[in-house]
Amino acid sequence: MARFRNRKNKVFVKPIVKKNQQQQPNVDHITGNKIPKSFVFSRGKLPGPIRQLQMDLRKLMLPYTALNLKEKKRNNLKDFLNVAGPMGVTHFLILSKTETSPVLRVAKTPQGPTLTFKIQEYSLAVDIAQSQLRPRCPQDLFKNPPLIVLSGFAAGDEHLKLTTTVFKNIFPDIDINTVKLSSCQRIVCLNYNKDTKFIDFRHYSIRLQPVGVSRRIRKFVQNHQVPDLRNLQDVSDFVTKAGYGSESEADEEAATVTLTSDLSRVNRASTKSAVKLQEIGPRMTLQLTKIEGGLCSGEVMFSEYGNGGNKKKPDSEEDGDNDDEMKDSDEDNEGEDSEEDIGESEEDEED
Amino acid sequence: MGKKKDKALNESESTIDMKPMIHENAQFFDKLVELIPARFYLPDEKDKPWFQGLSKAEKASAKKQSRENIKKARRDRLDPEKSTKTTLDLLKENLEKEKSNMDSDGEEKEIEVRPIMSDLDGGEERSVTYEELRGSLRSKIEELRGSRNIPSSDKGKKRKNERNDKKGNLQKKQKSDGVVEEKKIDSINDEHNVEKDIVEEAANKLIFSRVKLGDNEDKREDSKKESTKSELLAKHSWKSAMDRAAGIKVHDNPKLLKQSIQKEKKRHQKNAEKWHERVETMKKLKAEKQQKRSENIADKIHQKKMLRIAKREKKLLRPGFEGRKGST
Repeated sequence: MARFRNRKNKVFVKPIVKKNQQQQPNVDHITGNKIPKSFVFSRGKLPGPIRQLQMDLRKLMLPYTALNLKEKKRNNLKDFLNVAGPMGVTHFLILSKTETSPVLRVAKTPQGPTLTFKIQEYSLAVDIAQSQLRPRCPQDLFKNPPLIVLSGFAAGDEHLKLTTTVFKNIFPDIDINTVKLSSCQRIVCLNYNKDTKFIDFRHYSIRLQPVGVSRRIRKFVQNHQVPDLRNLQDVSDFVTKAGYGSESEADEEAATVTLTSDLSRVNRASTKSAVKLQEIGPRMTLQLTKIEGGLCSGEVMFSEYGNGGNKKKPDSEEDGDNDDEMKDSDEDNEGEDSEEDIGESEEDEED
Repeated sequence: MGKKKDKALNESESTIDMKPMIHENAQFFDKLVELIPARFYLPDEKDKPWFQGLSKAEKASAKKQSRENIKKARRDRLDPEKSTKTTLDLLKENLEKEKSNMDSDGEEKEIEVRPIMSDLDGGEERSVTYEELRGSLRSKIEELRGSRNIPSSDKGKKRKNERNDKKGNLQKKQKSDGVVEEKKIDSINDEHNVEKDIVEEAANKLIFSRVKLGDNEDKREDSKKESTKSELLAKHSWKSAMDRAAGIKVHDNPKLLKQSIQKEKKRHQKNAEKWHERVETMKKLKAEKQQKRSENIADKIHQKKMLRIAKREKKLLRPGFEGRKGST
């Protein structure tokens, strides 16, 4: 009888495929919608602080943005549009500078509306970190997209409604059934002030602290540092001593939540935790000046200063096609000479 | 076996006409049975020789024994002195044995056996028991049928309902969906209200990130028609802007729409061209092949003709017979 080689002993080695390039998903496999991606870039030469602001905005939009986007001087908006299509980029955040103030334009590709904001004031992330006693930046803070909260926009006109829609859709959807609490680590807050018509833009990091635990025990558990028991007679003194609470612990009632799942060793499910927001990232005060129907082109649907006619801009070749499908019926200012507002003249210099 | 019993029963009856006929039949059958060797007709009670599980020596001895048994049996069969048991005798023995067994078991078995075989119903006792049995059987069947019918009847009803009220059900379903959606919206609104109470800013409602809930929030209700053209245009522009901001594609631009239509047309044209080409090439190929085939066939025929001619010529090329037949 022939001896057969025992083939069962052969070990099957699975080939290891190293994924060096991690491709970002285009469609959110949880909600099924397209994940919105953005480009943050600037038009024209900008001074230093505004370039910093651009970097801060890019970090804010992580992970679904191009962090190292390099733009050349000769790049037009058209070029960006051409690249945006295949890459699945849905929003453009364009920074530019006029004589009075920098301008931020939020536009939806490929044909979407453009919201033009005038940045009245801004603070960089670095400044904010320097102003804080304990600036906080955990490692995976920018791995997940931020949440967004808009307040004061509800009872507004069409333009405010459009603003809310645009901002809501800049960040990916959240499915409350499947979202992981640990992935909600940042939050962007926009507050609309009816009197001044300014929009406050803030960016915070979310931190959860267990409530009802004395400060000493909490610190001990979090830091794993051996406490100083020099002055105490017994360990029980350490545990039961009523220490003074910090200022923020006073207003905990409003900000406590009951967690549904274990977030970390300290924050356990079904125990109360306090939600603490610590500011990171840029702080801006924006004013909505213009809404256009197309991508930096098209019909002007809303204008802060009253005149919104289609003006001939000096460097209009850099922009996209001027689709004048609809003539302005309400605003019929076509000549540049007729307007007297200071604001309008600055808007002409925008690219 | 059964026939034996039959015969026994019938002999006890007083019908004279049947008797000789039955007797003749019985004899005929007996003769038939006698022809069959007992080994084949009767069930074998002895164990068959089982050679497999034994060792070599045991197997050899068992085989030897069986061979000897066969020889012995053959000798006994052909020996006129020894009394041979015919198949019939063995059959009778078997029957008697079984009868004794059956009697020991009890009456029931007897009663069961009899109604099946006899056409004639005997005395009153037998009929009573027979009818009793029938009644009990009927009741048992009804019981089983009753237990079986409960699920099956429901299924039947369900099917009927589905067939009859198909349309009605669809409508009902749609209605119920609408109700469910309304309930969901109400619950969401309630949640919002609760949040409002908690938050101190009662005047300003907070708007959050886009949350995926169960229902589609993008339903818009634009039923009113504005009168002026400008208002219509403005409304349309706002609506399209909102839709675009929300991610819904609005096909507004006539230029782009034209382009896409043209693209589609061109694609269609190209496909049609390709198809034509394909058909042409297929035709060509087919024609070529057919031509080649016919050529080959013609060639063959020609070859055959030539061969025949050559043969004929060859015949005439015998020495001394050169030249044609007609020429002198």
